[in-house]
Amino acid sequence: MSAIRTVLRVLISDDDPMIREALREVLEAEPDIEVVGAAEDADEAIALAGQYAPAVVVLDVRMPGGGGPRAAREILRHRPDTRILAFSAYDDSGTVAEMMRAGSVEYLLKGASNIEIVAAVRRAGTT
Amino acid sequence: MSDDSAPPPLTADFRLLVQDVVDYAIFMLDPTGHIMSWNAGAERIKGYAPDEIIGKHFSVFYPPEDNAADKPALELEQAIAERRLEDEGWRIRKDGTRFWANVVITALYDDRGVLRGFGKVTRDLTDRRAADQALFESEERFRLLVQGVLDYAIFMLDPQGYVVSWNGGAERINGYAPEEIIGKHFSVFYPPEDNAADKPARELEQAIAEGRLADEGWRIRKDGTRFWANIVITALYDDHGSLRGFGKVTRDLTDRRAAEQALDERRRLLSHLVHAQELERRRIAWDVHDDSIQSMVAVGMRLQLLAGRLPEEHRAMLDKLDDAVRATISRLRTLVFQLRPTSIDRHGLVATLNDFLRDVVTGWGVVPVLHHEELTEEPPTETAITIFRICQEAITNVRKHAGAGSLDIYLSTMDGGTMTRVVDDGIGFSQPETPPEPMEHFGLIEMRERAETAGGWWTVVGSPEKGTTVEFWLPSASHGAGSGAEVPS
Repeated sequence: MSAIRTVLRVLISDDDPMIREALREVLEAEPDIEVVGAAEDADEAIALAGQYAPAVVVLDVRMPGGGGPRAAREILRHRPDTRILAFSAYDDSGTVAEMMRAGSVEYLLKGASNIEIVAAVRRAGTT
Repeated sequence: MSDDSAPPPLTADFRLLVQDVVDYAIFMLDPTGHIMSWNAGAERIKGYAPDEIIGKHFSVFYPPEDNAADKPALELEQAIAERRLEDEGWRIRKDGTRFWANVVITALYDDRGVLRGFGKVTRDLTDRRAADQALFESEERFRLLVQGVLDYAIFMLDPQGYVVSWNGGAERINGYAPEEIIGKHFSVFYPPEDNAADKPARELEQAIAEGRLADEGWRIRKDGTRFWANIVITALYDDHGSLRGFGKVTRDLTDRRAAEQALDERRRLLSHLVHAQELERRRIAWDVHDDSIQSMVAVGMRLQLLAGRLPEEHRAMLDKLDDAVRATISRLRTLVFQLRPTSIDRHGLVATLNDFLRDVVTGWGVVPVLHHEELTEEPPTETAITIFRICQEAITNVRKHAGAGSLDIYLSTMDGGTMTRVVDDGIGFSQPETPPEPMEHFGLIEMRERAETAGGWWTVVGSPEKGTTVEFWLPSASHGAGSGAEVPS
């Protein structure tokens, strides 16, 4: 972590406003992370990703507009370099497999500690 | 047989033939009825040796009542008048026993037309008569049987469909006395709409074409009321292959139909209830998932943020709070899973069961294995949910009672549905000395009701040596309430 020279640009997307805001605060508390936008559905996530070209997109799995899987596929179709981190309350293997197939680099379960969340975002940004 | 004409050789042969025949008594009487000759058959049938009987009057063969009526003389007179006479009746043997005889007496004349005597041929028909009698009695018994049956209307139609016989059951079920219905056309039993469609005639045609016809439908009693009938019409042919008519057997299934409908109604209500329960569970599950869990997740994240900003002395307290939030999230997740395994809608039965075994059962110290190699067809969602629910209940029982070390679940596609077996190696199903707790009992009933409501079956077998096996089969075709398993997006 000592070698970080640039700020990691992150887009977050979750249809739950409390999660959105908490996640934004958690990530923005880190000096090397910048939250460039917060989308509340898949369509907005796709649009904001096109607009801000974030390095990492944190995607909720179940959202209006086709959910995380659709958002991940669309974002990667336009910007294959983007790293997708799934962030979901679903822990069943089917959902995990679905997000991984859609192109996520990591699947983080909601309920993970802030330290784990930040670490996962950093890992995604450096892979 | 006069002295001046010696009998030709043929006559001698013929005499031998007659002499040796044992199945018929063949002998001659003189014109007054005295016995002139006697053969082996006569000796066998009547019991007299030739020297005992020749010269005696043939009335000795007749029973006293016939002799009192002068029957022997009358028979000879009739034989003279008509050249021959045939009679059947009781005759007496030498030992006084009776036998049933067929008798032919032929008047014999010489070339000049003079009565020379009578030829008498007697057969012992005692055996045949017994057989005839037995047949008659058997037919009579059969007639009485058919007549006496009250639960089935059994009657015959002629080839045109007119009623020619009628039994007690027919009278009871259809309401007609025999004299009211015999001779009437059987279309009177059919409701107007069937007659308008020419159904009676078509049923006879089909019975002729296929040998028999079975049908179920409304029929009309004499008083005009309807009953739900099961009928079988059988075409009846004689030995020459010509149609002699039809046998018709009718059962009144009105009561059974009502009972079946009541059962169907109960099943339908139960199915609706289960369906409504699943919908409600799913709604609550989604609510907990999307609202309660998310809120707790957000609260946890903010608590941790706060912990980082507060002085060190408050950290321990906030960590405890954070732990409590995490534990709550975990419990809520389990609750959601128990309410409705949300993944079953999207990822099917095998994935969901595997998750359940991994997340829930493994923690009990049991080694669960799901065998699904023979599941060639994933059951539809509603069926999958029922299978999952029953497995959940069965597995919960394993945890509570079995003390098992292994747990195997076998899924296979079979007979248009899914067969599931939940097998453990525990202490076996409750033995009589340990009667099941009411709730446990309820659990068993609930499993069975779930299976039966879904149109399948359920059973449990267990022994201390072999553990417990819960086995059930559910059809893939939906039964009762519709699927309604759309996943909210």
